[in-house]
Amino acid sequence: MAGNRVAVVGVGQTKYAAVRDDVSLPGLLREAVFRALDDAHMTMDDIDAIVVGKAPDFFEGMMMPESYLAEALGAVGKPLFRVHTAGSVGGSTALVAATHVQSGVHDRVLTIAWQQQSVSEAMWALSFPIPFQQQLVAGAGGYFAPFIREYIRRSNAPDEIGILVALKDRLNALKNPYAHLHEPDITFESIQESFMLWEPIRYSETCPGSDGAIALVLASEDAAEASAASSGVPPAWVHGTAMRSEPATASGRDQVNPDAGQECAADVYAQAGITDPRRQVDVVEMYVPFSWYEPMWLENLGFAPEGEGWRLTEDGSTQMTGDLPVNCSGGVLSTNPIGASGMIRFGEAALQVRGQAGDHQIDGARVAVGHAYGGAAQFYAMWVVGSEKP
Amino acid sequence: MAADDDGPDTAGGASGGGDGDLLRAPLVIEYPFNRTTGPVVGAFVTALRNRTVLGIRAADGRVVCPPVEYDPQTGAPLHELVEVSDTGTITSWSWVDRIREGQPVQSPHALALIRLDGADTAMLHVVDAPGPEAVSTGARVRIRWADEPTGAITDIACFELDGGAS
Repeated sequence: MAGNRVAVVGVGQTKYAAVRDDVSLPGLLREAVFRALDDAHMTMDDIDAIVVGKAPDFFEGMMMPESYLAEALGAVGKPLFRVHTAGSVGGSTALVAATHVQSGVHDRVLTIAWQQQSVSEAMWALSFPIPFQQQLVAGAGGYFAPFIREYIRRSNAPDEIGILVALKDRLNALKNPYAHLHEPDITFESIQESFMLWEPIRYSETCPGSDGAIALVLASEDAAEASAASSGVPPAWVHGTAMRSEPATASGRDQVNPDAGQECAADVYAQAGITDPRRQVDVVEMYVPFSWYEPMWLENLGFAPEGEGWRLTEDGSTQMTGDLPVNCSGGVLSTNPIGASGMIRFGEAALQVRGQAGDHQIDGARVAVGHAYGGAAQFYAMWVVGSEKP
Repeated sequence: MAADDDGPDTAGGASGGGDGDLLRAPLVIEYPFNRTTGPVVGAFVTALRNRTVLGIRAADGRVVCPPVEYDPQTGAPLHELVEVSDTGTITSWSWVDRIREGQPVQSPHALALIRLDGADTAMLHVVDAPGPEAVSTGARVRIRWADEPTGAITDIACFELDGGAS
Protein backbone atom coordinates (compact mmCIF):
# COMPACT_ATOMS: atom_id res chain seq x y z
CA MET A 1 0.00 0.00 0.00
CA ALA A 2 1.29 3.44 -0.91
CA GLY A 3 2.41 5.90 1.70
CA ASN A 4 3.23 5.73 5.38
CA ARG A 5 1.57 3.25 7.72
CA VAL A 6 -1.74 4.30 9.30
CA ALA A 7 -3.84 2.62 11.96
CA VAL A 8 -7.16 3.04 13.74
CA VAL A 9 -6.53 3.70 17.44
CA GLY A 10 -9.90 5.09 18.48
CA VAL A 11 -13.52 4.21 17.68
CA GLY A 12 -16.47 6.12 19.14
CA GLN A 13 -20.14 5.55 18.37
CA THR A 14 -23.34 7.14 19.58
CA LYS A 15 -26.34 5.12 20.58
CA TYR A 16 -28.31 4.92 17.35
CA ALA A 17 -32.05 5.55 17.42
CA ALA A 18 -34.94 6.68 15.25
CA VAL A 19 -34.83 10.06 17.00
CA ARG A 20 -32.03 11.36 19.19
CA ASP A 21 -34.01 14.36 20.44
CA ASP A 22 -31.96 14.54 23.63
CA VAL A 23 -29.03 16.16 21.79
CA SER A 24 -28.34 18.91 19.30
CA LEU A 25 -26.48 18.10 16.08
CA PRO A 26 -23.13 19.24 17.57
CA GLY A 27 -23.95 17.31 20.75
CA LEU A 28 -24.60 14.14 18.76
CA LEU A 29 -21.23 14.39 17.01
CA ARG A 30 -19.40 15.21 20.23
CA GLU A 31 -20.83 12.07 21.87
CA ALA A 32 -18.98 10.01 19.23
CA VAL A 33 -15.90 12.27 19.18
CA PHE A 34 -15.15 12.06 22.91
CA ARG A 35 -15.70 8.29 22.95
CA ALA A 36 -13.19 7.92 20.10
CA LEU A 37 -10.68 10.23 21.80
CA ASP A 38 -11.10 8.38 25.10
CA ASP A 39 -10.56 5.07 23.29
CA ALA A 40 -7.33 6.45 21.80
CA HIS A 41 -6.23 8.02 25.11
CA MET A 42 -6.12 11.42 23.41
CA THR A 43 -7.73 14.83 23.77
CA MET A 44 -8.82 17.35 21.15
CA ASP A 45 -5.45 19.08 21.61
CA ASP A 46 -3.65 15.99 20.28
CA ILE A 47 -5.50 16.06 16.96
CA ASP A 48 -3.75 17.56 13.91
CA ALA A 49 -6.63 17.62 11.41
CA ILE A 50 -10.32 16.75 11.13
CA VAL A 51 -12.09 15.07 8.20
CA VAL A 52 -15.89 14.96 8.19
CA GLY A 53 -18.41 13.33 5.88
CA LYS A 54 -22.16 13.20 5.49
CA ALA A 55 -24.79 12.58 2.85
CA PRO A 56 -26.50 15.50 1.02
CA ASP A 57 -26.76 18.80 2.91
CA PHE A 58 -30.51 19.06 2.35
CA PHE A 59 -31.14 15.88 4.36
CA GLU A 60 -30.74 18.16 7.39
CA GLY A 61 -31.18 21.51 5.64
CA MET A 62 -27.78 22.77 6.70
CA MET A 63 -25.44 23.97 4.00
CA MET A 64 -21.72 23.36 4.57
CA PRO A 65 -22.27 21.99 8.08
CA GLU A 66 -18.52 21.57 8.54
CA SER A 67 -18.21 25.34 8.91
CA TYR A 68 -20.89 25.49 11.59
CA LEU A 69 -19.40 22.46 13.38
CA ALA A 70 -15.75 23.54 13.41
CA GLU A 71 -15.78 24.77 17.01
CA ALA A 72 -17.79 21.77 18.21
CA LEU A 73 -15.24 19.38 16.69
CA GLY A 74 -12.19 21.13 18.14
CA ALA A 75 -11.13 22.25 14.67
CA VAL A 76 -10.28 25.88 15.54
CA GLY A 77 -6.96 26.66 13.87
CA LYS A 78 -6.70 23.19 12.30
CA PRO A 79 -7.32 21.81 8.80
CA LEU A 80 -10.95 20.72 8.38
CA PHE A 81 -11.96 18.76 5.28
CA ARG A 82 -15.45 17.70 4.08
CA VAL A 83 -16.23 14.63 1.95
CA HIS A 84 -19.49 13.79 0.17
CA THR A 85 -20.10 10.61 -1.84
CA ALA A 86 -23.77 9.80 -1.04
CA GLY A 87 -24.38 6.60 0.96
CA SER A 88 -20.75 5.49 0.68
CA VAL A 89 -19.57 8.74 2.26
CA GLY A 90 -18.73 7.25 5.64
CA GLY A 91 -16.28 4.89 3.96
CA SER A 92 -14.85 7.52 1.63
CA THR A 93 -14.39 9.89 4.54
CA ALA A 94 -12.34 7.36 6.50
CA LEU A 95 -10.20 6.80 3.40
CA VAL A 96 -9.59 10.53 2.94
CA ALA A 97 -8.64 10.72 6.62
CA ALA A 98 -6.23 7.82 6.09
CA THR A 99 -4.51 9.66 3.25
CA HIS A 100 -3.96 12.62 5.60
CA VAL A 101 -1.71 10.27 7.61
CA GLN A 102 -0.31 8.14 4.76
CA SER A 103 0.94 11.31 3.10
CA GLY A 104 3.12 12.03 6.10
CA VAL A 105 1.50 15.44 6.64
CA HIS A 106 -0.39 14.57 9.86
CA ASP A 107 0.12 12.11 12.72
CA ARG A 108 -3.29 12.11 14.42
CA VAL A 109 -6.47 12.66 12.42
CA LEU A 110 -10.02 12.68 13.76
CA THR A 111 -12.70 11.65 11.28
CA ILE A 112 -16.45 11.84 11.84
CA ALA A 113 -19.53 10.85 9.85
CA TRP A 114 -23.14 11.36 10.83
CA GLN A 115 -26.78 11.63 9.89
CA GLN A 116 -29.96 12.72 11.63
CA GLN A 117 -32.59 11.00 9.53
CA SER A 118 -35.24 12.26 11.96
CA VAL A 119 -34.70 15.83 10.77
CA SER A 120 -36.33 15.23 7.39
CA GLU A 121 -37.77 12.65 5.03
CA ALA A 122 -34.53 11.53 3.41
CA MET A 123 -36.35 8.73 1.62
CA TRP A 124 -37.96 11.22 -0.75
CA ALA A 125 -35.24 13.88 -0.79
CA LEU A 126 -33.46 12.72 -3.90
CA SER A 127 -36.29 13.09 -6.39
CA PHE A 128 -36.84 16.21 -8.44
CA PRO A 129 -39.95 15.91 -10.61
CA ILE A 130 -40.03 15.26 -14.34
CA PRO A 131 -38.78 16.91 -16.57
CA PHE A 132 -35.70 17.87 -14.56
CA GLN A 133 -34.62 14.36 -13.62
CA GLN A 134 -35.71 10.79 -14.21
CA GLN A 135 -38.46 10.16 -11.71
CA LEU A 136 -37.35 8.18 -8.64
CA VAL A 137 -40.24 8.75 -6.25
CA ALA A 138 -40.21 5.04 -5.45
CA GLY A 139 -37.54 5.72 -2.82
CA ALA A 140 -34.32 3.79 -2.47
CA GLY A 141 -36.01 0.40 -2.10
CA GLY A 142 -38.08 0.96 -5.21
CA TYR A 143 -34.97 1.88 -7.11
CA PHE A 144 -33.03 -1.22 -6.05
CA ALA A 145 -35.86 -3.80 -6.14
CA PRO A 146 -35.66 -4.45 -9.92
CA PHE A 147 -31.94 -5.21 -9.66
CA ILE A 148 -32.61 -7.62 -6.82
CA ARG A 149 -35.25 -9.36 -8.92
CA GLU A 150 -32.75 -9.61 -11.75
CA TYR A 151 -30.23 -11.14 -9.33
CA ILE A 152 -32.79 -13.75 -8.29
CA ARG A 153 -33.59 -14.50 -11.93
CA ARG A 154 -29.94 -14.97 -12.84
CA SER A 155 -28.96 -16.99 -9.77
CA ASN A 156 -32.17 -18.98 -9.16
CA ALA A 157 -31.78 -18.15 -5.48
CA PRO A 158 -34.71 -19.31 -3.30
CA ASP A 159 -37.05 -16.67 -1.90
CA GLU A 160 -36.00 -17.34 1.70
CA ILE A 161 -32.46 -15.98 1.25
CA GLY A 162 -33.49 -12.40 1.90
CA ILE A 163 -35.36 -13.47 5.01
CA LEU A 164 -32.33 -15.39 6.31
CA VAL A 165 -30.12 -12.31 5.91
CA ALA A 166 -32.57 -10.08 7.74
CA LEU A 167 -33.00 -12.60 10.56
CA LYS A 168 -29.23 -12.98 11.00
CA ASP A 169 -28.51 -9.26 11.02
CA ARG A 170 -31.36 -8.40 13.40
CA LEU A 171 -30.29 -11.16 15.80
CA ASN A 172 -26.66 -10.01 15.58
CA ALA A 173 -27.84 -6.50 16.48
CA LEU A 174 -29.02 -7.83 19.85
CA LYS A 175 -25.31 -8.30 20.68
CA ASN A 176 -24.47 -4.67 19.79
CA PRO A 177 -25.57 -2.13 22.42
CA TYR A 178 -25.24 0.78 19.95
CA ALA A 179 -27.53 -0.78 17.32
CA HIS A 180 -30.78 1.04 16.55
CA LEU A 181 -33.12 -1.96 16.18
CA HIS A 182 -33.25 -4.44 19.03
CA GLU A 183 -36.00 -6.93 18.14
CA PRO A 184 -35.58 -9.95 20.41
CA ASP A 185 -38.85 -11.49 19.24
CA ILE A 186 -38.05 -11.46 15.52
CA THR A 187 -38.45 -14.80 13.72
CA PHE A 188 -38.23 -16.16 10.20
CA GLU A 189 -42.03 -16.19 10.13
CA SER A 190 -42.42 -12.60 11.38
CA ILE A 191 -40.10 -11.37 8.61
CA GLN A 192 -41.89 -13.52 6.02
CA GLU A 193 -45.25 -12.11 7.08
CA SER A 194 -44.12 -8.48 7.19
CA PHE A 195 -45.51 -6.08 4.60
CA MET A 196 -44.17 -6.45 1.06
CA LEU A 197 -42.88 -2.95 0.29
CA TRP A 198 -41.16 -3.40 -3.05
CA GLU A 199 -41.21 -7.01 -4.18
CA PRO A 200 -39.11 -8.93 -3.20
CA ILE A 201 -38.21 -6.54 -0.36
CA ARG A 202 -40.39 -6.92 2.73
CA TYR A 203 -40.62 -4.34 5.51
CA SER A 204 -38.40 -6.40 7.83
CA GLU A 205 -35.80 -6.81 5.07
CA THR A 206 -35.33 -3.04 4.92
CA CYS A 207 -32.97 -0.76 6.85
CA PRO A 208 -34.44 1.66 9.39
CA GLY A 209 -33.89 5.44 9.35
CA SER A 210 -31.55 6.35 12.19
CA ASP A 211 -29.92 9.26 13.96
CA GLY A 212 -26.30 8.77 14.90
CA ALA A 213 -22.62 9.50 14.46
CA ILE A 214 -19.33 7.63 14.50
CA ALA A 215 -15.81 8.98 14.96
CA LEU A 216 -12.45 7.32 14.35
CA VAL A 217 -8.96 8.40 15.37
CA LEU A 218 -6.34 7.48 12.77
CA ALA A 219 -2.66 7.62 13.63
CA SER A 220 0.77 7.29 12.05
CA GLU A 221 2.96 4.34 13.06
CA ASP A 222 4.70 6.14 15.92
CA ALA A 223 1.52 7.81 17.13
CA ALA A 224 -0.40 4.53 16.92
CA GLU A 225 2.19 2.68 18.98
CA ALA A 226 2.20 5.45 21.57
CA SER A 227 -1.60 5.38 21.75
CA ALA A 228 -1.68 1.59 22.06
CA ALA A 229 0.97 1.68 24.79
CA SER A 230 -1.19 4.13 26.72
CA SER A 231 -4.61 2.56 26.11
CA GLY A 232 -3.51 -1.08 26.18
CA VAL A 233 -5.61 -1.77 23.07
CA PRO A 234 -3.86 -2.82 19.85
CA PRO A 235 -4.29 -0.67 16.73
CA ALA A 236 -6.15 -1.81 13.63
CA TRP A 237 -3.55 -1.42 10.88
CA VAL A 238 -4.82 -0.35 7.48
CA HIS A 239 -3.66 -2.85 4.85
CA GLY A 240 -5.45 -1.44 1.84
CA THR A 241 -7.82 1.35 0.77
CA ALA A 242 -9.78 1.73 -2.47
CA MET A 243 -12.54 3.82 -3.99
CA ARG A 244 -14.29 3.43 -7.34
CA SER A 245 -17.22 5.19 -9.01
CA GLU A 246 -19.29 4.76 -12.13
CA PRO A 247 -21.97 7.02 -13.66
CA ALA A 248 -25.54 6.27 -12.53
CA THR A 249 -26.99 6.23 -16.03
CA ALA A 250 -24.11 4.85 -18.10
CA SER A 251 -25.49 2.62 -20.83
CA GLY A 252 -24.58 -1.03 -20.53
CA ARG A 253 -23.86 -0.72 -16.83
CA ASP A 254 -24.63 -3.88 -14.84
CA GLN A 255 -26.32 -2.71 -11.66
CA VAL A 256 -26.60 -6.27 -10.33
CA ASN A 257 -22.85 -6.83 -10.27
CA PRO A 258 -21.32 -3.40 -10.95
CA ASP A 259 -17.83 -3.13 -12.41
CA ALA A 260 -16.88 -0.39 -9.95
CA GLY A 261 -17.50 -2.67 -6.97
CA GLN A 262 -15.52 -5.53 -8.50
CA GLU A 263 -12.61 -3.26 -9.32
CA CYS A 264 -12.68 -1.64 -5.89
CA ALA A 265 -12.44 -5.07 -4.25
CA ALA A 266 -9.68 -6.27 -6.60
CA ASP A 267 -7.65 -3.15 -5.85
CA VAL A 268 -7.99 -3.32 -2.06
CA TYR A 269 -7.18 -7.07 -1.99
CA ALA A 270 -4.09 -6.56 -4.14
CA GLN A 271 -2.82 -3.90 -1.73
CA ALA A 272 -3.49 -6.17 1.25
CA GLY A 273 -1.93 -9.24 -0.39
CA ILE A 274 -5.24 -11.10 -0.43
CA THR A 275 -5.54 -13.63 -3.23
CA ASP A 276 -8.35 -15.80 -1.76
CA PRO A 277 -10.72 -13.49 0.12
CA ARG A 278 -13.03 -16.31 1.25
CA ARG A 279 -10.12 -17.99 3.09
CA GLN A 280 -7.98 -15.00 4.09
CA VAL A 281 -10.64 -12.62 5.41
CA ASP A 282 -11.91 -13.41 8.92
CA VAL A 283 -14.88 -11.06 9.16
CA VAL A 284 -16.74 -8.64 6.84
CA GLU A 285 -18.80 -5.54 7.48
CA MET A 286 -20.53 -4.82 4.19
CA TYR A 287 -23.18 -2.25 3.31
CA VAL A 288 -26.46 -4.21 3.15
CA PRO A 289 -29.46 -1.82 3.41
CA PHE A 290 -31.82 -4.35 1.82
CA SER A 291 -31.41 -8.03 2.70
CA TRP A 292 -30.63 -9.34 -0.77
CA TYR A 293 -27.54 -7.17 -1.05
CA GLU A 294 -25.67 -9.66 1.15
CA PRO A 295 -25.52 -12.38 -1.53
CA MET A 296 -25.16 -9.77 -4.28
CA TRP A 297 -22.14 -8.14 -2.63
CA LEU A 298 -20.63 -11.50 -1.62
CA GLU A 299 -20.29 -12.07 -5.36
CA ASN A 300 -19.38 -8.51 -6.27
CA LEU A 301 -16.58 -8.49 -3.69
CA GLY A 302 -15.19 -11.86 -4.73
CA PHE A 303 -16.23 -13.95 -1.74
CA ALA A 304 -18.25 -16.28 -3.98
CA PRO A 305 -18.43 -17.05 -7.71
CA GLU A 306 -21.12 -15.20 -9.66
CA GLY A 307 -24.53 -16.73 -8.96
CA GLU A 308 -23.32 -18.57 -5.86
CA GLY A 309 -23.33 -15.90 -3.15
CA TRP A 310 -26.72 -16.91 -1.80
CA ARG A 311 -25.36 -20.36 -0.93
CA LEU A 312 -23.08 -18.77 1.71
CA THR A 313 -26.14 -17.20 3.29
CA GLU A 314 -28.16 -20.40 3.02
CA ASP A 315 -25.51 -22.71 4.53
CA GLY A 316 -24.79 -20.38 7.45
CA SER A 317 -21.28 -19.33 6.36
CA THR A 318 -22.14 -15.66 7.01
CA GLN A 319 -23.48 -16.32 10.50
CA MET A 320 -21.25 -15.38 13.44
CA THR A 321 -20.62 -19.12 13.78
CA GLY A 322 -19.74 -19.51 10.09
CA ASP A 323 -16.37 -19.27 8.38
CA LEU A 324 -17.11 -15.83 6.86
CA PRO A 325 -19.16 -13.84 9.38
CA VAL A 326 -20.90 -10.86 7.73
CA ASN A 327 -22.25 -7.88 9.67
CA CYS A 328 -21.80 -9.14 13.23
CA SER A 329 -22.78 -5.62 14.36
CA GLY A 330 -26.26 -6.04 12.88
CA GLY A 331 -25.25 -4.01 9.85
CA VAL A 332 -27.15 -1.34 7.96
CA LEU A 333 -30.28 -3.53 8.25
CA SER A 334 -30.30 -2.72 11.99
CA THR A 335 -28.82 0.80 12.00
CA ASN A 336 -28.83 3.34 9.17
CA PRO A 337 -27.79 6.93 9.81
CA ILE A 338 -27.01 7.17 6.07
CA GLY A 339 -23.97 9.43 6.13
CA ALA A 340 -22.44 7.45 8.99
CA SER A 341 -23.33 3.92 7.82
CA GLY A 342 -20.20 3.44 5.70
CA MET A 343 -17.87 4.56 8.47
CA ILE A 344 -19.69 2.29 10.93
CA ARG A 345 -18.75 -0.64 8.65
CA PHE A 346 -15.13 0.56 8.62
CA GLY A 347 -15.11 1.15 12.38
CA GLU A 348 -16.71 -2.22 13.18
CA ALA A 349 -14.05 -3.92 11.00
CA ALA A 350 -11.40 -2.12 13.09
CA LEU A 351 -13.10 -3.15 16.36
CA GLN A 352 -12.97 -6.81 15.28
CA VAL A 353 -9.21 -6.91 14.62
CA ARG A 354 -8.57 -4.93 17.82
CA GLY A 355 -10.62 -7.50 19.78
CA GLN A 356 -12.94 -4.73 20.97
CA ALA A 357 -16.30 -5.77 19.46
CA GLY A 358 -17.74 -7.03 22.73
CA ASP A 359 -20.54 -9.57 22.46
CA HIS A 360 -20.36 -9.57 18.66
CA GLN A 361 -16.60 -10.17 18.59
CA ILE A 362 -15.30 -12.98 16.33
CA ASP A 363 -12.59 -14.62 18.39
CA GLY A 364 -9.16 -14.29 16.88
CA ALA A 365 -10.20 -12.04 13.98
CA ARG A 366 -7.01 -10.85 12.30
CA VAL A 367 -8.15 -9.53 8.92
CA ALA A 368 -11.40 -7.62 8.39
CA VAL A 369 -13.02 -5.91 5.41
CA GLY A 370 -15.09 -2.73 5.67
CA HIS A 371 -17.28 -1.90 2.66
CA ALA A 372 -19.64 0.90 1.69
CA TYR A 373 -21.68 1.72 -1.39
CA GLY A 374 -23.74 4.74 -2.33
CA GLY A 375 -25.80 6.58 -4.89
CA ALA A 376 -27.40 4.37 -7.54
CA ALA A 377 -25.01 1.52 -6.54
CA GLN A 378 -22.29 3.59 -8.17
CA PHE A 379 -19.90 4.76 -5.41
CA TYR A 380 -17.71 2.20 -3.62
CA ALA A 381 -15.27 2.50 -0.75
CA MET A 382 -13.42 -0.34 1.01
CA TRP A 383 -10.63 -0.92 3.41
CA VAL A 384 -8.85 -3.97 4.78
CA VAL A 385 -7.64 -3.73 8.36
CA GLY A 386 -5.51 -6.22 10.26
CA SER A 387 -4.14 -6.91 13.69
CA GLU A 388 -0.59 -7.08 12.28
CA LYS A 389 1.36 -4.30 10.61
CA PRO A 390 1.16 -4.45 6.80
CA MET B 1 -44.10 22.49 -21.78
CA ALA B 2 -43.93 25.76 -23.65
CA ALA B 3 -42.02 28.72 -22.36
CA ASP B 4 -44.29 30.91 -20.27
CA ASP B 5 -44.30 34.66 -20.30
CA ASP B 6 -43.54 35.59 -16.71
CA GLY B 7 -39.90 36.43 -17.28
CA PRO B 8 -36.98 36.40 -19.67
CA ASP B 9 -35.84 33.06 -21.02
CA THR B 10 -32.34 32.65 -19.68
CA ALA B 11 -31.77 29.13 -20.91
CA GLY B 12 -29.71 30.20 -23.91
CA GLY B 13 -30.01 31.64 -27.37
CA ALA B 14 -31.58 28.76 -29.21
CA SER B 15 -35.09 30.18 -29.04
CA GLY B 16 -34.03 32.92 -31.46
CA GLY B 17 -33.95 30.44 -34.31
CA GLY B 18 -37.70 30.12 -34.42
CA ASP B 19 -37.53 26.32 -34.28
CA GLY B 20 -39.57 25.90 -31.11
CA ASP B 21 -39.50 26.97 -27.52
CA LEU B 22 -36.93 25.78 -25.03
CA LEU B 23 -38.22 23.73 -22.16
CA ARG B 24 -39.26 25.70 -19.11
CA ALA B 25 -41.27 24.23 -16.25
CA PRO B 26 -41.96 25.12 -12.65
CA LEU B 27 -39.83 23.33 -10.04
CA VAL B 28 -41.17 23.64 -6.51
CA ILE B 29 -39.13 21.95 -3.79
CA GLU B 30 -40.76 21.83 -0.38
CA TYR B 31 -38.82 20.07 2.30
CA PRO B 32 -39.68 20.58 5.97
CA PHE B 33 -37.17 19.93 8.76
CA ASN B 34 -37.34 19.20 12.48
CA ARG B 35 -34.51 20.39 14.70
CA THR B 36 -33.32 19.29 18.10
CA THR B 37 -31.91 21.95 20.41
CA GLY B 38 -30.00 19.89 22.95
CA PRO B 39 -29.42 20.62 26.64
CA VAL B 40 -27.93 24.12 26.30
CA VAL B 41 -29.82 25.88 23.52
CA GLY B 42 -32.90 24.04 24.79
CA ALA B 43 -32.39 25.54 28.25
CA PHE B 44 -31.88 28.99 26.70
CA VAL B 45 -35.14 29.01 24.75
CA THR B 46 -37.03 27.42 27.64
CA ALA B 47 -35.80 30.23 29.93
CA LEU B 48 -36.98 32.82 27.41
CA ARG B 49 -40.48 31.45 27.91
CA ASN B 50 -40.10 32.44 31.57
CA ARG B 51 -38.74 35.85 30.53
CA THR B 52 -35.22 35.20 31.68
CA VAL B 53 -32.02 35.06 29.63
CA LEU B 54 -29.28 32.45 30.16
CA GLY B 55 -25.62 32.56 29.24
CA ILE B 56 -22.93 29.96 29.91
CA ARG B 57 -19.54 30.26 31.57
CA ALA B 58 -16.64 29.48 29.19
CA ALA B 59 -13.33 27.90 30.19
CA ASP B 60 -11.70 31.33 30.56
CA GLY B 61 -14.48 32.54 32.90
CA ARG B 62 -16.28 34.72 30.36
CA VAL B 63 -20.06 34.39 30.06
CA VAL B 64 -21.18 33.61 26.50
CA CYS B 65 -24.73 34.71 25.63
CA PRO B 66 -26.59 33.19 23.86
CA PRO B 67 -25.05 30.08 25.41
CA VAL B 68 -23.12 27.39 23.49
CA GLU B 69 -22.54 23.73 24.37
CA TYR B 70 -18.77 23.86 24.02
CA ASP B 71 -15.95 26.30 24.58
CA PRO B 72 -15.51 28.45 21.45
CA GLN B 73 -11.72 28.22 21.72
CA THR B 74 -10.95 24.75 23.06
CA GLY B 75 -14.06 22.74 22.25
CA ALA B 76 -14.31 21.57 25.88
CA PRO B 77 -17.81 20.83 27.18
CA LEU B 78 -19.49 23.71 29.06
CA HIS B 79 -22.08 23.17 31.78
CA GLU B 80 -22.50 26.24 34.04
CA LEU B 81 -25.56 28.14 32.84
CA VAL B 82 -25.71 31.70 34.20
CA GLU B 83 -28.70 34.02 34.31
CA VAL B 84 -27.93 37.41 32.82
CA SER B 85 -29.88 40.67 32.90
CA ASP B 86 -32.63 41.88 30.60
CA THR B 87 -30.71 45.14 30.22
CA GLY B 88 -27.55 45.70 28.26
CA THR B 89 -25.34 47.93 26.14
CA ILE B 90 -25.15 48.45 22.39
CA THR B 91 -21.65 47.60 21.12
CA SER B 92 -22.33 48.28 17.43
CA TRP B 93 -25.36 49.04 15.27
CA SER B 94 -26.75 50.02 11.89
CA TRP B 95 -30.01 51.73 10.94
CA VAL B 96 -32.68 50.02 8.84
CA ASP B 97 -34.69 52.76 7.12
CA ARG B 98 -36.65 50.84 4.50
CA ILE B 99 -38.85 48.09 5.91
CA ARG B 100 -39.51 44.93 3.97
CA GLU B 101 -41.92 42.10 4.61
CA GLY B 102 -40.93 39.71 7.34
CA GLN B 103 -38.67 42.02 9.29
CA PRO B 104 -39.14 41.77 13.04
CA VAL B 105 -40.34 45.35 13.56
CA GLN B 106 -42.56 46.99 10.95
CA SER B 107 -41.08 50.46 11.37
CA PRO B 108 -37.56 51.85 10.86
CA HIS B 109 -35.27 50.35 13.50
CA ALA B 110 -31.68 49.54 14.41
CA LEU B 111 -29.97 46.17 14.07
CA ALA B 112 -27.52 46.11 16.95
CA LEU B 113 -25.01 43.96 18.76
CA ILE B 114 -26.14 44.00 22.39
CA ARG B 115 -24.06 42.84 25.35
CA LEU B 116 -26.44 42.02 28.18
CA ASP B 117 -25.35 42.93 31.72
CA GLY B 118 -23.65 39.86 33.17
CA ALA B 119 -22.52 38.59 29.74
CA ASP B 120 -19.17 39.09 27.99
CA THR B 121 -20.35 38.56 24.43
CA ALA B 122 -22.94 40.39 22.36
CA MET B 123 -25.96 39.04 20.48
CA LEU B 124 -27.56 40.48 17.37
CA HIS B 125 -31.06 41.83 17.82
CA VAL B 126 -33.44 44.65 16.95
CA VAL B 127 -33.69 48.01 18.72
CA ASP B 128 -36.97 49.85 18.29
CA ALA B 129 -35.94 53.50 18.39
CA PRO B 130 -37.51 56.73 17.07
CA GLY B 131 -34.60 57.44 14.70
CA PRO B 132 -30.88 56.90 14.11
CA GLU B 133 -30.04 60.00 16.10
CA ALA B 134 -31.42 58.25 19.19
CA VAL B 135 -29.05 55.26 18.85
CA SER B 136 -25.38 55.18 19.76
CA THR B 137 -22.68 52.71 20.68
CA GLY B 138 -22.74 52.56 24.44
CA ALA B 139 -26.48 53.28 24.63
CA ARG B 140 -28.40 51.31 27.27
CA VAL B 141 -31.22 49.04 26.14
CA ARG B 142 -33.81 46.79 27.74
CA ILE B 143 -35.67 43.72 26.44
CA ARG B 144 -39.27 44.21 25.33
CA TRP B 145 -40.81 40.79 25.83
CA ALA B 146 -43.41 39.30 23.51
CA ASP B 147 -46.93 39.29 24.95
CA GLU B 148 -47.15 35.49 24.89
CA PRO B 149 -43.71 33.82 25.13
CA THR B 150 -43.49 30.44 23.37
CA GLY B 151 -39.91 29.31 23.99
CA ALA B 152 -38.25 30.86 20.94
CA ILE B 153 -35.80 33.69 20.26
CA THR B 154 -38.78 35.76 19.12
CA ASP B 155 -39.89 35.85 22.77
CA ILE B 156 -37.53 38.82 22.80
CA ALA B 157 -39.81 40.99 20.65
CA CYS B 158 -37.06 43.60 20.39
CA PHE B 159 -34.97 45.89 22.55
CA GLU B 160 -35.94 49.42 23.47
CA LEU B 161 -33.79 52.28 24.69
CA ASP B 162 -33.56 52.17 28.47
CA GLY B 163 -34.89 55.38 29.98
CA GLY B 164 -35.79 56.89 26.63
CA ALA B 165 -33.45 58.34 24.01
CA SER B 166 -29.80 58.43 25.00
